[in-house]
Amino acid sequence: MLVSAEESFLRGSTGGAAMLLLPIIVISLVGFVAPVVNLLVFSFQKAEATGALLGGFTFDTWHDVITDPYYRELIANSVGASLLITVLDLVLSYPIALYLHRSSGLRRTILLVLVISPLLLSAVVRTYGWIAILADNGLIDQLLAKLGIINPYRMVFNMLGVVIGLTEILMPYMILALLAGFGRLDLRAEEAAATLGARPFVVFRRVTLPLSLPGILLGSLLCFVLAISSFITPKLLGGGRIFLLATEIYDQAIVTLNWPVAATLSGLILAIFGVALVAYTRLLARLV
Amino acid sequence: MSAQGPSKQPCARPGIQLENLRKTYPDNVAVDDLNLTVGKGELVAFLGPSGCGKTTSLRMIAGLTPITSGRVVVDGRDLTGLPVFRRDIGMVFQNYALFPHLDVRRNIAFGLEMRKLSSAEIARRVNEAIALVQLQGREGRRPAELSGGQQQRVALARALAIQPSLLLFDEPLSNLDAKLREEMRKEIRDIQKRLGITAIFVTHDQVEALTMCDRIAVLNHGRLEQLGTPQELYERPATPFVASFIGRTNRLAGQARGKVVEGAGWQLAIAEPHHGAVEVMVRPHRMKLAQSTVASPEAVNRVKGNVVRCIYAGEVIQTDVDIGGQIITVEQPNAGSEVTPEPGQAVEVTFLVRDSLVYSGAA
Repeated sequence: MLVSAEESFLRGSTGGAAMLLLPIIVISLVGFVAPVVNLLVFSFQKAEATGALLGGFTFDTWHDVITDPYYRELIANSVGASLLITVLDLVLSYPIALYLHRSSGLRRTILLVLVISPLLLSAVVRTYGWIAILADNGLIDQLLAKLGIINPYRMVFNMLGVVIGLTEILMPYMILALLAGFGRLDLRAEEAAATLGARPFVVFRRVTLPLSLPGILLGSLLCFVLAISSFITPKLLGGGRIFLLATEIYDQAIVTLNWPVAATLSGLILAIFGVALVAYTRLLARLV
Repeated sequence: MSAQGPSKQPCARPGIQLENLRKTYPDNVAVDDLNLTVGKGELVAFLGPSGCGKTTSLRMIAGLTPITSGRVVVDGRDLTGLPVFRRDIGMVFQNYALFPHLDVRRNIAFGLEMRKLSSAEIARRVNEAIALVQLQGREGRRPAELSGGQQQRVALARALAIQPSLLLFDEPLSNLDAKLREEMRKEIRDIQKRLGITAIFVTHDQVEALTMCDRIAVLNHGRLEQLGTPQELYERPATPFVASFIGRTNRLAGQARGKVVEGAGWQLAIAEPHHGAVEVMVRPHRMKLAQSTVASPEAVNRVKGNVVRCIYAGEVIQTDVDIGGQIITVEQPNAGSEVTPEPGQAVEVTFLVRDSLVYSGAA
């Protein structure tokens, strides 16, 4: 039998598949694994006040960071804010994603473009946009003033501003992840539930929601990870007054030149990612 | 319109009545004033080509598609305007529409849980339904772990468990392979008969409609073409559409003068007098190729033509014959002694006068 080289390569079971994976494995090793290992090595080294690393091996930085109440609060704030943003994104995006899932043709295309279009703008630009909208005497204040209301709340350069801005900026990701996870959602199954006597709310609770859980989990994981690691938006909308893990890492690495602390905090974020990923995998396994 | 034999009357109590059921969309009329009564315990097929309004009608009965006008009455209860979840109608969907996140038992129990029955009662009725569709031992499986036929059974059990007053089938067998489809046809029919449940069966497959159902409603362009037993529809189709949709048929266009129809080079006798342009339809297997003159006690039409081609199909032999420019197919059972005619051979096609259906004004 005559088999071309190409054919035997593609058919060639595991050997061929491994060959195809090689480029991404190399890129991942050089571009991701090696720097992360390097970073973790930094976290166990001592440094001078000038920032120069002295080498050696010590647990001091890890010990200091974990026992310092300031860093504990920082971690709690970061995780809390990211969870809040994730929940807000989920609540705001779910109806949109459901509507998109059920629409078709031109309507769906137009709506999908509208969902994706914010991603074409840099997060920096969108963040400045939010500053203009939320600032004292900004768009919202001016509108309220026209209605004769004086807004007593500050909405920017505080946690509220960061949450509002990040929630909007991460919404497209949540919507797309929900849509990707809605594969099992079938209008016919919902109709079947209705013919069996389920009211619309019961149909949602017993059929729609369980079938969309894979999407909810995927979107939540993605949103949480993006929220906790985002830097520009908290930096700008926080006005230097909101301290979260990502902004603190920047300050330690670039301003204070304390690379071991920056590396330790990075290691902590990585650990939080790990916990989120394990939680996601466990929950998903229980579903399927 | 040709004469129509007396229709088998449905039972005195109607299971479902459709009164002037109508569905219009901005750009078309999907269902055009459908009037239909299905007797209690009767299985009626909605048969027609795609887009004929059969599924729309079914969905309007279930309450899944809002009706434009008309009434749906089930067991004397007017369902018009009632939401789906209050209709008490069991429905089996084309893709089964099982709940993929629930196992077989929970799928079947769903409708019973909605009725807030006690768990003992739910368990009893679920077991009953599982036994009915012979799914014992598969209670804990998820739909994805079942074959197409088994999923079909779960869908049927789920719809039956709520003991509905009406059972609707939306092309339930179209996703199964031929052998399984035949098996499920018999099984669905058996269960429906045993439970005495009124049912409507939407299909585009005439064999399914003919073999399973008490009566068939043939729909075309949203209108009811004919309602009758399989035999009535096949033997006495009311319209040319029904004649050509159910079974195969030969069409001969000609001019009628009383009890005689004339075409290009042929002449036929017909039972009832007609005038003007008509179409004569004869089933292929009601025609014969006559090699010699055979005496017949009944009135027989004889038409001369030339063989175009002959197809040996095992059980039958199909011969296409050119009659004055129109091709007709003659189908004869293969009795073993048949001599297949050669193309170009002159033959005589014979058929009984009563086997020809005549429709006036046909194209």
